[in-house]
Amino acid sequence: MIEVEKLTKRYAGRLAVDAISFEVAKGEIVGFLGPNGAGKSTTLRMLTCFLSASSGTARVAGFDIYDKSIEVRRRVGYMPENVPLYPDMRVSEYLTFRAKLKGIGFRAAKRAVAEAMDVCSLTEVERKMISTLSKGYKQRVGLADALVNKPDLLILDEPTNGLDPNQIRQSRELIRRLGDRHTILISTHILSEVEMTCGRVVIIDRGKIRASDSPQNLIRRLRKPGEVILEMCGDHADARERIEKIEGVEQVTLIHERQDWFTLSISTNPHVDIREDLFELVSERKWKIRELASRAASLEDAFVDLVQHPKEEEKPTAVNGAEDAETEEGENE
Amino acid sequence: MRTFLILFLKELRSFFLSPLAWVVMALFTFLNGWLFASMVNAMRLRVSPRSLVFNMFESGWFWMGFFILFPLITMRLFAEERKMGTIEGLLTAPVRTSEVVLAKYLATVIVYVIIVLPVFLFFPLFQVVTGESAAFHSGALWGSALGLLLVGIFNVAIGTLASSLTANQLIAAMLTFVLVMLHYFMGFLHNFGVVPGSNWTDSLTYFSTTEHMQALSEGLIDSRPIFYYLSFSVILLSLTHHVLESRKWRA
Repeated sequence: MIEVEKLTKRYAGRLAVDAISFEVAKGEIVGFLGPNGAGKSTTLRMLTCFLSASSGTARVAGFDIYDKSIEVRRRVGYMPENVPLYPDMRVSEYLTFRAKLKGIGFRAAKRAVAEAMDVCSLTEVERKMISTLSKGYKQRVGLADALVNKPDLLILDEPTNGLDPNQIRQSRELIRRLGDRHTILISTHILSEVEMTCGRVVIIDRGKIRASDSPQNLIRRLRKPGEVILEMCGDHADARERIEKIEGVEQVTLIHERQDWFTLSISTNPHVDIREDLFELVSERKWKIRELASRAASLEDAFVDLVQHPKEEEKPTAVNGAEDAETEEGENE
Repeated sequence: MRTFLILFLKELRSFFLSPLAWVVMALFTFLNGWLFASMVNAMRLRVSPRSLVFNMFESGWFWMGFFILFPLITMRLFAEERKMGTIEGLLTAPVRTSEVVLAKYLATVIVYVIIVLPVFLFFPLFQVVTGESAAFHSGALWGSALGLLLVGIFNVAIGTLASSLTANQLIAAMLTFVLVMLHYFMGFLHNFGVVPGSNWTDSLTYFSTTEHMQALSEGLIDSRPIFYYLSFSVILLSLTHHVLESRKWRA
């Protein structure tokens, strides 16, 4: 659906986007991640033909963004950052205007708008002026605008920016549902959101692509030691000594102590799960425990790692089954 | 064409939904009504060799209103869209930049016509109310109407260009104000101590706002001013188009 080839954008001598290449296949939901100023919005603006590339090119829905810009724009539903809308129009009026502008006939526009408002739960505010809407509603108007002509591809630039946690959850649901019908490219810096909705993540930093993989694989590739948390009651020094003897344990640190109870953080070799050994030790010594958990690395860790220690893009590493199980458990926590 | 029409109607609608258009229209009509009354008065006191129509449109007071009118109706066209960011949604919809420019421009020309129209009602109204016979012939009135339309077409194009240059409506308004005023005063260089008769004063005078109004408001229709105003408007609009397109490369 999107094929980006060495796309570059230069602003006054500064490289905002530096020869990036990536692809998005039909039906995918791809998260486009990066710190502020990394070039996310610039890239999306080039893909939606709002800006022209300094060099390189991209094809969207099979059309070149430069030569066939109108064809590209016909097939892309774009929601710009901060959702600019005309404040002096009513919701239904604005959406009807946009639907017609995107080439929907007068009669069909009415139906298309009703449908889009239904999908985005806007029907109750259809007569309201956009200027009087709350941020959450405005965001949904922007989304309804993007999908009113049922485009093959949705490009959403920080769609959950400035929403409250409840609204973020709702919009996440909505985006996941939209994924059945549209290919979606979504830029955001809310990582938990990407972890839950996107099948693949493209991480961009300082104009360069740092990684492009599924969130699970990115987490796996992290060379971060595993960590097990144990909260127990008993002899502190003895416990530490015995735990340190388990194979794979690298370090044991006391992170919390309260009366007889204390919490240990046990860092381990990244490819070892010590929880079973630990359990046997605990039951053998008859320690009382309140918590035994493995803390999996999150996408956030992967993101921080990639952005702070930039390295050239790597091929995804082969993964064995044991690790697979671990990350899945970690996610459920 | 379809896209143009959708944009054109939207633009026209948003003009009349904002209080600005109504305020401008009311004040402009009020000012000109006052001016018209004083003109009638002046002609009652002193015999004039010219017609009422000629005197009205020859008066500097009449044109003063235009210095304010054009900035007010054109400043928001692109500047507002850029400030609010809505230009991003507009230009990522499947529309051509030329359609956007033309729609905004022509909608504003229509608004201008609607604002200026009442002035032309004064003349027949005056005759109906006073029962006096015509102090002018209808050719003068039609000629003036054509002249004002041409001036509008030209100056709205100036404003459209100015508005595309900035995201700040006040800067767009100031720029239009200065350009409209310069264009007007170009015809009065001899009043500012510049020796008349030299080639460039004559040329500048030829290009100025009111130069062609005189002939037109006497009912003399010449094709040269028509060509002059239209061709310059086309140049200004294509410049606007270039400004908007080049923004894609800088931003």
